[in-house]
Amino acid sequence: MKLAVVGDQEFVTGFMLAGITDLYEVKDEKQLVEAIRELLNRKDIGIVAVQQELMKKLPTYLKREVYESVEPTFIAVGGSEEVVEEIREKIRKAIGVDLWK
Amino acid sequence: MPLLQVQPTRMELIKLRRRIKMAQRGHSLLKMKRDGLIMEFRQLLAEAKEAIDRMIEKYKVARQKLALAEAVDGSVAIRSIALACCQVQPQFTIMRKNVMGVVVPVVKRERIKKKIIERSYGVLSTSIRLDEAVEAYEDLIDSILEVAEIETTLRKLLEEIEKTKRRVNALEYRIIPSMIETARFIAFKLEEMDRESRIVLKKLKSKKEKVKAL
Repeated sequence: MKLAVVGDQEFVTGFMLAGITDLYEVKDEKQLVEAIRELLNRKDIGIVAVQQELMKKLPTYLKREVYESVEPTFIAVGGSEEVVEEIREKIRKAIGVDLWK
Repeated sequence: MPLLQVQPTRMELIKLRRRIKMAQRGHSLLKMKRDGLIMEFRQLLAEAKEAIDRMIEKYKVARQKLALAEAVDGSVAIRSIALACCQVQPQFTIMRKNVMGVVVPVVKRERIKKKIIERSYGVLSTSIRLDEAVEAYEDLIDSILEVAEIETTLRKLLEEIEKTKRRVNALEYRIIPSMIETARFIAFKLEEMDRESRIVLKKLKSKKEKVKAL
């Protein structure tokens, strides 16, 4: 299984240095959608790290698909608490209380 | 509650009572399963929080170190080094584990950290800042894999919890009450039929007696 990375140039460079080869450098939303679509269909990728700012920009229909997909698993990577926003919402829906805090 | 479509016979009543009992047993089992899942989930949640916080922290550090390296060595230089080093991929395998009937992935991580000499850029021609940045990113990748595992597990558990909850509620508020109602309906109907036939018998008897008396 391999790790793939989706992000802007700065984001991707660091992972490139660490030896990741499946990098998707995206400049605008169109490229982002294309990259995500391709990743959803790839069988050899196990985990996809997506820049958190880009995760927010995804169109709604794709967002749902991304969050529901298990293989590959999409993970928002970023420097703030917002990476957990979606899963928090899900917990609230399934259990009825916000267990996160 | 809507009634089920049944014939009001004694056999049907017996069958229905049996079904009610079974549904009630299933309901209590499912309830226990739901509680168990939620307990499991809460334990995992604490772990997840820690892992995600760790990842956020590592991301910040990595970003900083890379920025520093770019500032000192020039982003073009860093970029060209980055483009050159694509040989050693971090490897991991995904296995499956069973948590209360939910299949969750377990990520087996191996050898994400490399020694300096194993990195594919020249050690002599680059600065220590770059080495540090690379190390920070390797650290971050490790952390990402960890988070990926936990987050997927959380998601799967949530799905299962939701499903179980829906089943419990359907049984509790819909299926069992409507079956009980139906059973009661059949019981009433049977009683009614009983009374009716008794009246008929009485009528017949009195008629017979009248004929005899004549």
